[in-house]
Amino acid sequence: MKKIILGWLLILLYAGNLNAQRVKGSETVLPITQKAAENFIKSHPRTNVTVTGGGSGVGISSLMSGTTDIAQTSRRIKFDERKKIKFAGNNLREVEVAFDALAIVVHPSNKVSQLTREQLSGIFTGKIKNWKEVGGEDLKIIPYSRETSSGTYEFFKESVLKHKNFMSGIMSMPANGAVIQSVSQTRGAIAYVGLAYLSDKVKPLAVSYDSGKTFVKPSVESAKNKSYPIVRPLYYYYLSKDEAKVKNFIDYLLSPTGQKIVEETGYVPVS
Amino acid sequence: MNQKFKQKAAFFLFRLFSFFIVGILISILGFIVINGISVISWEFLTESPTDGMTSGGIFPAIVGTFYLVIGSLIFAVPLGVMSAIYTTEYAGNGFIVRFIRMMTNNLASVPSIVFGLFGMALFVNKLEFGDSILAGSLTLGLLTLPLIIRTSEEALKAVPDSYRSGSLALGASKLQTIRKVVLPSALPNILTGVILSIGRVSGETAPILFTVAAYFLPNLPQSIFDQAMALPYHLYVLATSGTDLEASRPMAYGTALVLIAIVLIFNLMATFMRQRLNKKFKQN
Amino acid sequence: MAQKNLLGKITEKLTESLLTLSGALTTIAILFITIFLFKEGFGLFKSPAIEDGYGLYVHPENPVNQLHPLDVKNMYDEEIINWNELGGANQEIMVFRIDDVFDYYTDEDLGENYSLLPEKLGYIISDHKNIIAYVPEEFAPSVTQGSKKVKVHNTTLSDFFLGKEWLPTATPSPLFGALPLILGTLLVSLIAIVLALPLGLGVAVYLSELADERMRKFLKPVIELLAGIPSVVYGFFGLVVVAPLVQKAFNLPVGETAFTGGLILAIMALPTIISVAEDAIRNTPTAMREASLALGATQWQTIYKVVIPYAGSGISAAAVLGIGRAVGETMAVLMITGNAAVIPSTIFEPVRTIPATIAAELGEAPSGGQHFQSLFLLGCILFLISMIISIVSEMISKKKTYKSL
Repeated sequence: MKKIILGWLLILLYAGNLNAQRVKGSETVLPITQKAAENFIKSHPRTNVTVTGGGSGVGISSLMSGTTDIAQTSRRIKFDERKKIKFAGNNLREVEVAFDALAIVVHPSNKVSQLTREQLSGIFTGKIKNWKEVGGEDLKIIPYSRETSSGTYEFFKESVLKHKNFMSGIMSMPANGAVIQSVSQTRGAIAYVGLAYLSDKVKPLAVSYDSGKTFVKPSVESAKNKSYPIVRPLYYYYLSKDEAKVKNFIDYLLSPTGQKIVEETGYVPVS
Repeated sequence: MNQKFKQKAAFFLFRLFSFFIVGILISILGFIVINGISVISWEFLTESPTDGMTSGGIFPAIVGTFYLVIGSLIFAVPLGVMSAIYTTEYAGNGFIVRFIRMMTNNLASVPSIVFGLFGMALFVNKLEFGDSILAGSLTLGLLTLPLIIRTSEEALKAVPDSYRSGSLALGASKLQTIRKVVLPSALPNILTGVILSIGRVSGETAPILFTVAAYFLPNLPQSIFDQAMALPYHLYVLATSGTDLEASRPMAYGTALVLIAIVLIFNLMATFMRQRLNKKFKQN
Repeated sequence: MAQKNLLGKITEKLTESLLTLSGALTTIAILFITIFLFKEGFGLFKSPAIEDGYGLYVHPENPVNQLHPLDVKNMYDEEIINWNELGGANQEIMVFRIDDVFDYYTDEDLGENYSLLPEKLGYIISDHKNIIAYVPEEFAPSVTQGSKKVKVHNTTLSDFFLGKEWLPTATPSPLFGALPLILGTLLVSLIAIVLALPLGLGVAVYLSELADERMRKFLKPVIELLAGIPSVVYGFFGLVVVAPLVQKAFNLPVGETAFTGGLILAIMALPTIISVAEDAIRNTPTAMREASLALGATQWQTIYKVVIPYAGSGISAAAVLGIGRAVGETMAVLMITGNAAVIPSTIFEPVRTIPATIAAELGEAPSGGQHFQSLFLLGCILFLISMIISIVSEMISKKKTYKSL
């Protein structure tokens, strides 16, 4: 009995010398990284890729505290985050691994099909409260948001709300999947999700960034040709000192095989 | 007449409540078993998740939970039993013992998320263990320490004093008495406490959120400094993340079933052990 | 022979000191937790409520010298639009963020490594008397370059405990108003207790007074099983089954509400309440029961006029412990209450509790930053509540023991 325990302990304490790397962060990028890791391991057996979500903020925060090798994010790193890393004596490297379109979704029964950026801003900051104010039925608008750790949250705030704050009391869902679930169950709901999360349980809206002159629906094509206005890059951040560790996996993701995985998962490849 | 009616009504209501409780348990268990049983297969239990978590298995999560449970016991059992030995055999009944007991009760009522917060601050950040099985085990060990202490204390107290005085009369020292007489007698009950805590630790999510849990680990953790997947965290992410929640739902049910099965098996084991042991003592 | 004894004696002493040390273990743990939580948490009040490394700058002629974080947020949200609302001149506020500098200058204009940035910012600020600029301190124009730094107040105790808005990542000024979280936690726990106490008490009475041996043997494991179900499983059940049910039954826009959370928490708190209350009821001396029955009372009258009042302290202890269980619950609440940081006006609205906030936000708060500290402060609140509950329930039970003598 003692020998078995000792044996297990030795196995546990043995610090594996496999090429191991940790990727942490964005819930939006999570499906890409997870699929890529799955396939990467198949073709590179002596490697290990640990994938964790939590939100872009979690990724960057972990990069700063050294508990991850790659931070996957759906927003650009902020100035003071960049500064903290520099102050710690490290050099930051940024890689664009994919593009994503932010889709605005509502309940399938909602009559509204298009909204301008100004209307979206009014809705999510709480100024527009009823669907009839934007051409729908007399129904209370229920906006859903992501948690503050989400890069999707930050990007939406920057691009659509132009840095204004979401209305206090908005509902925060932990991940894109949960948002879809809630919107599909709530008639008055409106939310923002990554393009890859669209399903027929929700209805995407066409968006106009030029005050109503042109409205574009979100799709991989409209994201590729940038006609859809709410498009953003998805990033991998790492420290230059970890370059050797992470290079293989990142190169894999940027290779044609990797980019095909990006497309299959519902995102827009970088090329 | 009126009183009799009131009594009948009240008692009927209470009987109803009790059946209601049974109903709640049946619906929760039924919900999980009915939806989860079709997912369970040998592959489910021994493979890694594939296809973006919509198929495959949950083997890494089972292994991760196993590691975390063992890890937490390594910390909590020796220290907890020793602490119980101190308070029951050495410390008498004065202010110090009462203070220690109060502190143990306090620790027992601390919410699990506070353990997670503390664990992250101390083990992950300050001591720089990072997100690791080590940090997770230490945090979970701290969480389950009061339970081990309490059950060990009860186990030690249940050993009749006559055993102790008999041993001392034969010339053994206090330590020898404890080692060779008291502990062995108390061991079955201590074991019951350990089994109970296995059930508890397997199901905890909050303490491992920021100390060890990973969303996806293609290979098993190789060292105690690696992250690990775990059943409760896996259930949480399957229920709320991933591109295709509908497709992951069956996996979620399966995970819930495995988790509940583990927790219930250990809880029932502990309950039956306790009942059998009590019978034995009564007979003596 | 003497040597063996000496070695034996040393080992004994060592072992005994080890044992003594282990005894102190839980006390040490509580001490450490307290120190860590409070040290980190109270650090929040020591720094100005503006994003680390950034500053707010205005034109030197602007009379405004200091601002409250709430004002800063309202300025940048365009809720306050004129300087005279803050004690300044009657002019419209012009809001400026560092990225806006590219509306005025190109990348080349700013020089290598942005060395000319402070100078250019100085120009922009001096050109606009009504500007408020949110820029990194590293690139901020100095006083000579034509600007004045505005002091932002620290978050104060009342800001934290009475503030109504929880916006920990707002820029420039995060707001740490924990009132919605505190009220959310209390509301959900209250609902849980209101539902669980009568139910639990009823079951406890049934178990101790009415049930026969067979029922008791059947019910006890059932209750223990309920107690053993992990929080995340309850959350899953609540998310998939209870929330849609509540939504349909009460015709609500959303199923994730305080009521739903309270419902699930009630189920989770039931085992605690039932076992503690049952213990208390059983410990009522048979003499009292028999006396009451001898006087002609029915069993029910005996129960509610004699037994329950006698077991009152034990039942209160049960309620208190149940509240404690409900307050500290994390995963179940995180998954089913909608997590909206708003002061609830009805029980059918989403709320955000303290444990759920910590669980949702801890991962992304950079170590040592203000957000991180605020979450520790929330942890302090939880820790204090659980300590108080533990001590109160012990005091209540002790009172009872003296009473019975």
